[in-house]
Amino acid sequence: MNIICLVKFVPDVDNFMYDYDRNVLVRENVKMILNPDDAAALAFALKVKDRHPSTFIEVVSMAPKSIIGQLEDLLRRNVDKATLISDKNYVGSDTYITSKILAKYLKAKSFDCILTGTHALDGDTSHVPAQLGELLSLAQLSNVIKIDESKFDGTQAVVDVDREKVISSYRVGLPAILSVQKESKYKLPHIKFKNLNLNVSANMTIVSNSDLNFDVNEVGIEGSLTKVSRTYPKKMEKKEHIVVNNDDEGIEVVYQFLKSKGYV
Amino acid sequence: MKKSLIYLDQENIQNSIDLLAVIDLMYGKGNSTTYAVCLNHLGEEVTGLVDYIINIKDERIENHDLVNLTNCLDELQKTYAFDSILIPATQTGRMLAPRLSMRLHVGLVADVTAIEHQNGNLEMVRPAFSGKIMAGIVNKGRLPIMMSVRQNVFNYNSDESKNTEKIEFLPTNIQPSTIQLLDSKEKERSLDIRDSEILISGGGGVQDNFHCLDMLAQQLDAQVSASRRIVDSGLASRRIQVGQSGKTVSPRLYIALGIYGSLQHIEGLNNVENIISVNIDKDAPICSLSDIVVVGDAVEFIERLVKKIKNNRKIETGENL
Repeated sequence: MNIICLVKFVPDVDNFMYDYDRNVLVRENVKMILNPDDAAALAFALKVKDRHPSTFIEVVSMAPKSIIGQLEDLLRRNVDKATLISDKNYVGSDTYITSKILAKYLKAKSFDCILTGTHALDGDTSHVPAQLGELLSLAQLSNVIKIDESKFDGTQAVVDVDREKVISSYRVGLPAILSVQKESKYKLPHIKFKNLNLNVSANMTIVSNSDLNFDVNEVGIEGSLTKVSRTYPKKMEKKEHIVVNNDDEGIEVVYQFLKSKGYV
Repeated sequence: MKKSLIYLDQENIQNSIDLLAVIDLMYGKGNSTTYAVCLNHLGEEVTGLVDYIINIKDERIENHDLVNLTNCLDELQKTYAFDSILIPATQTGRMLAPRLSMRLHVGLVADVTAIEHQNGNLEMVRPAFSGKIMAGIVNKGRLPIMMSVRQNVFNYNSDESKNTEKIEFLPTNIQPSTIQLLDSKEKERSLDIRDSEILISGGGGVQDNFHCLDMLAQQLDAQVSASRRIVDSGLASRRIQVGQSGKTVSPRLYIALGIYGSLQHIEGLNNVENIISVNIDKDAPICSLSDIVVVGDAVEFIERLVKKIKNNRKIETGENL
């Protein structure tokens, strides 16, 4: 079986520093980590490979070249191939363009299943998996918390999806795009000690625009259909609050507040 | 006159209705003809609130069938040429919006929490980096403007009653679905306070009456947590302690009952959307972080609020009081 895992490296947001004097987030020197949901998806693929060693796993990531070392560490975990899509013209692409770039690469591939994460720590739009579904004419499901390994056979997948109030099971015909959540508790294994310095460069491919041939005006900031016009830190100011008494009137205010926010 | 479409997600009708507030913010009240589209559902909930209800009528399309739902909305866009399409950021909405935007070749902004007008541009504001920063995003592509809208942020209220026209839409482009729903089961509840959407938290002000919190928790489908004072006096387990020496929690709603709100306690609150505090001291530090401060006794508050919730539920379900 051929599985393609789309992964993204994101800034470790929990360790962002905030410069209160200049009112900016300090993004320099922030460690890049494998997005947790994507790591869970890849961890599932590796489980499948443990069970069926003939499984071929390709990891695909669109990122700057500085991420090569981290992709190599995925190869040292028994991933068969890593593809880095990287080109200076792609910098600043919005989700629409990112999906177009990824789709152009993926259209030329044959695969049984594409696995991705559902949420990303940085932008968290969850756009790309669904947009790829459209571009590749595949079904796509987000919020997957379990894929039944015993039934995952290249023709179908039986998955559990977290739908907030309920967990639903679906049978999905393959190929399809399944977007996993870290709540699935699939954990990426550590690199085996003997593989720590394994030379994996032969399994790393870098794809640039000379391979994908986009007109430079169609990609990057230029080609994007949305543009970030400004960013600003979320104000941590004190809230304008209402003070009420513990009487019928006060309880009414509380109740209406709960109702308006959907808590009752 | 603009034309706007909202998607009515049956799993969260109220949040879908609230999208009408976003249309008002975009174009000004009354400057857009409003359409609501729903799948195999009459959409009675928006009668009087929108100009048109479009009911996609085709039993072959199920809620999770995003491919065919996209086909339908694509057909509708071709017929009506909407200026904007708004979709609630429910789970279905978050899968539908990107697929549809790709089909229509238009930009998409996810999880919009505010609308601004900057230099004549419509700016859609959304949180990024786990809500640590906000980004204002403009659409540079063609119409329609598309966005998914964060749930429970906007609130639509209107006294006017529109003469709603109903349109039945019979799709022509349906393909066999490759996704089949097998079954759905209720979620097992996690007992970890970090997984809870709503926390009812008690502090020194409730002390021996800590068990009363369960009553309110039950009504709001919430979990109970505690401040260090309660844990130290042996009334609750350390597992449910919020704060520096306990757990860091991120519920949507935190009801602080008799909690003073020391720095160490507040350290344990991360990205909490709403706080209601009940305290005899309206100047307790927790109050400055609260949306609503109720001055008074916490146990009395619990009794009153529980009664209120129960009564209103009876009214809503039509039971005799």
